[in-house]
Amino acid sequence: MGSAARKRRTLLAGLAVSAVVATAACGGPEAGGSGGGGIEKTIKIAQVQDQTGPIAYAGLGASEGAELAIEEIEQQNFLGEGVKIELQKLDTAGEIERASSEMNKAMGDRDVDAIIGPAATQQAAAVAPLVGRQKVPTVFTQAGGQGVVINDYTFRVTPPMESYYELAVDYLDKKGVKTISVLYNATFPTFAELGEKRVPQMAKDRGIEIVQSLPVQMTTQDFAGQSQQIARKNPDALVMLLIAPQSVTALRQLKDAGYDNLIVATSVQAAGNIKEAGDAANGLVYPVPFSTAMDGESSAAFTEAFRKKFNKDPDPYAADGYDAMWFIARAIKASGDSSREGIRKGLAQVAKEGFTGAMGNLTFEGNDARIEGALVQWQDGKEILAQ
Amino acid sequence: MSDWYAMNVVLIQTTLTTLLLALSIQVPIRFGVFSFAGVGAFGIGGYTAAIAMVHLGWTTWPSVALGAVLAGVVVFALGLVVQRLTGLYMGMATIAFTLIVSVVAVNGGELTGGPGGLFGALGEIDTGHILAVVVVVVAVLVWTEAKGMGRRVDTVREDPELATAMGIDVARYRLASFAISGVIGGLAGAITTLLRSTITPAEVNFHMVVLALTAIIVGGARSWLGAFIGAVIFVWLPTVISFVQEWEKVVYGFLVAVAAIYLPNGVLGLIKDLVHRLRTRQERARMAVLQEKG
Amino acid sequence: MQDLLNVVTLGSIYLLFALGMALVWGTIGILNFAHGATFMFSAFVGHLVTRETELPFLPVVAVSVLVGAAIAALTQLLAFQPILKRSKNQHAAEMRILIGGIGVAAIPLALAQHQTRSSPFGFNSSYDAEVMDVFGLRLTTTSAVIIVSGLAIGIGLTVWVRRSRQGLALRAIGVDAETAAGMGVNRTALAFGTMATAGALAGLAGALLTFQLGAIAPETGDQLLIKAFAIIVLGGLGSMAGTVIGAYVLAGAETLVLNLNYGTWVDAVSFGLIFLILLARPQGLLGRKEVRRT
Repeated sequence: MGSAARKRRTLLAGLAVSAVVATAACGGPEAGGSGGGGIEKTIKIAQVQDQTGPIAYAGLGASEGAELAIEEIEQQNFLGEGVKIELQKLDTAGEIERASSEMNKAMGDRDVDAIIGPAATQQAAAVAPLVGRQKVPTVFTQAGGQGVVINDYTFRVTPPMESYYELAVDYLDKKGVKTISVLYNATFPTFAELGEKRVPQMAKDRGIEIVQSLPVQMTTQDFAGQSQQIARKNPDALVMLLIAPQSVTALRQLKDAGYDNLIVATSVQAAGNIKEAGDAANGLVYPVPFSTAMDGESSAAFTEAFRKKFNKDPDPYAADGYDAMWFIARAIKASGDSSREGIRKGLAQVAKEGFTGAMGNLTFEGNDARIEGALVQWQDGKEILAQ
Repeated sequence: MSDWYAMNVVLIQTTLTTLLLALSIQVPIRFGVFSFAGVGAFGIGGYTAAIAMVHLGWTTWPSVALGAVLAGVVVFALGLVVQRLTGLYMGMATIAFTLIVSVVAVNGGELTGGPGGLFGALGEIDTGHILAVVVVVVAVLVWTEAKGMGRRVDTVREDPELATAMGIDVARYRLASFAISGVIGGLAGAITTLLRSTITPAEVNFHMVVLALTAIIVGGARSWLGAFIGAVIFVWLPTVISFVQEWEKVVYGFLVAVAAIYLPNGVLGLIKDLVHRLRTRQERARMAVLQEKG
Repeated sequence: MQDLLNVVTLGSIYLLFALGMALVWGTIGILNFAHGATFMFSAFVGHLVTRETELPFLPVVAVSVLVGAAIAALTQLLAFQPILKRSKNQHAAEMRILIGGIGVAAIPLALAQHQTRSSPFGFNSSYDAEVMDVFGLRLTTTSAVIIVSGLAIGIGLTVWVRRSRQGLALRAIGVDAETAAGMGVNRTALAFGTMATAGALAGLAGALLTFQLGAIAPETGDQLLIKAFAIIVLGGLGSMAGTVIGAYVLAGAETLVLNLNYGTWVDAVSFGLIFLILLARPQGLLGRKEVRRT
């Protein structure tokens, strides 16, 4: 943004604030009577997420989903005749400082009524205390770590991976698996938590024995050694918790090493990230919060609408953005008040009741979403529901 | 003005903390030691301060002080071990140190929060506090750049043998640079961490080394003012060029490369050149006037 | 035995990547930080081409090699050569070349990230790796190609730099650029050729690694860069044989730590090892004594 343009925007923001103050002053009695500011004609939502850099996929996907949601909300006159939603995208570019800075700008802009917050846990954890202090309702997508949903103003619409990973272990149990190996990226917080605590506990509860636990780190690129170790132990199934490029390599090298049993992975494999593994990925099973294979009515409707608008398949990040935007819209409707405080109240109320979105039925533990999720299987280049 | 400040307070604070980080790399280089241990010190300082606040329940400033002191001590000890290395071998050894700090943080269990890092360490720090710290640090550095001290430091860097012949204890100067770099890096880490309330092992990485080095080379490597210019440029550049949207990183790379090619002494060198040229021109004009009169 | 074979494969991967970097750094004194981006982008172009039409093994490799050579040649022409021209001496240029490389590297990285949304990419090739059984050991055809080409090129370059006239000229530049120029070495042309060769090696590594790993991500180049830096310093700057040994030492250390199941300590152990080796041998394993007085 050029400094001239920025100045102009600041000026406009200032004008808008004074205009609001003026109207509020005139319409004092009525506004006071209804106990809220009502719904504005234009509601401004800031999306402070990565649009560039290594995790741009999460922010770009969420943008598409949110745009689709806005289109639907406006077409249905969901918030009343002619109410528009303006989505302002602020890029965090994969950096914590950028995230706090852009958040600070969004919070400083009095026109911004609510924020869709950073998708990376580190960025989200850094801004979460700030939104509490400044009292701006913020809905995070992804950001599955701790320290994100910490006060009344922080909400999260993507369930943390460990909350629905039971699906995968249940599946193993159902398939009669008795022994498993765990191969996990121990420098990736979510996978460290799953690999070291959750999966062992879930396995123990079902009488499944972990015969091998192999931690690797973010920079590990070659899995020949681990693949051979796994092939030698030959467990009934492998739980593979790796980031996208690592998974492709590991799957191929596991096949090369002669390991042919069942492999379960994570939602990182969604969005076509496993495509490059070719045939080696066939039969891979993983739980996801959203998949185009999901046959629930609301999920299928989202998939269809998304395909129509963007001419491609939606990924889970698009479902995040879609549900986040609908979450906010429902909140405004519930409280009948599009001010920051009104949206916060509405979000808390909608969270209590839960709602149905692209990811199916969303319920909330406090301000944190939970879903049933779906277990999908990768077969010949696309996801199908796992049998 | 106050609106502008409110909108950009994070950028202003980040500029100051980035300046501290850049200085922690610049100090040893000015002393002729190619050490990147300042980034490791950033990690030690940040983690120590966060641990003091989260686990020990300390208040903000004692935590920051502990972080800075501990980082200074550790980096000084590192200096004792690696002092006979030269050039890029020193660079590699200190990068290794920095990466090891990160790995220790990953494996630190409860104490460091493992790969997820520590969170909830929100200190009571405002821009005035950081500014005060920066002013003290810069005052010390200005002293090492000024007059006799500055000349001695320059000699230690450019010609260690001559320095020894002049009776300067080169080894002691170099060791001192480790300690200073450690304390400044520790301050940068502690303040940054308590400002944003979290620290994770992934932050203490090679990219941070690259950022600090880029800032001081583009800004100017020989003076704190160069580091300041570099910090201002690299913190504010993304905001200034954000109109190019998804091509931001491309433009960024292009500008860094152009700066490396056309600014041999950084932006500070360019400014000094311009000032010098302006002065010469004025001088010439005055001479011309004098001559005409004469 | 199988583990040893894995070490050799991993070491050859590192070696292929590090060779090009070691060649330019050890001879014409350019530490090219865009090497990782060159590596990644040549594989990325291979990916783009094979997305249009399926190709066999060799044409894919050829595409990547050509792209790599072109990128490196352009980098030399548009960035490093202008920097050298504007510097008083090699020493003054060193830092700016480093930063210039960092700037250049940001461009292909941003382009690839933008195109792929940072998801991994591979080749659509008619080639499919087969598993061979060699004396009871499992070895894929791709691994075999990587081991053979890594060792062959590594040894070939070692001998070439030591024996041939161009090699002599290159080494002369590495020791003392100005004197070498005075003795009739055409520095610009040689440097250009060397950079293009190194770029071709980066392209070769990019193609072979993508075949070996199935896919790489835009960020893969960065991760390898720091490892290659470590390998070259470990082996001793200016010694191609040192680079070969350094690659296998690092791979051996990493594989050992992984096999002992201390996966999260890999970086600490391998960089700790480098640290210790440098303490014992301050010029790297096979490095020449520094002639410079720094």
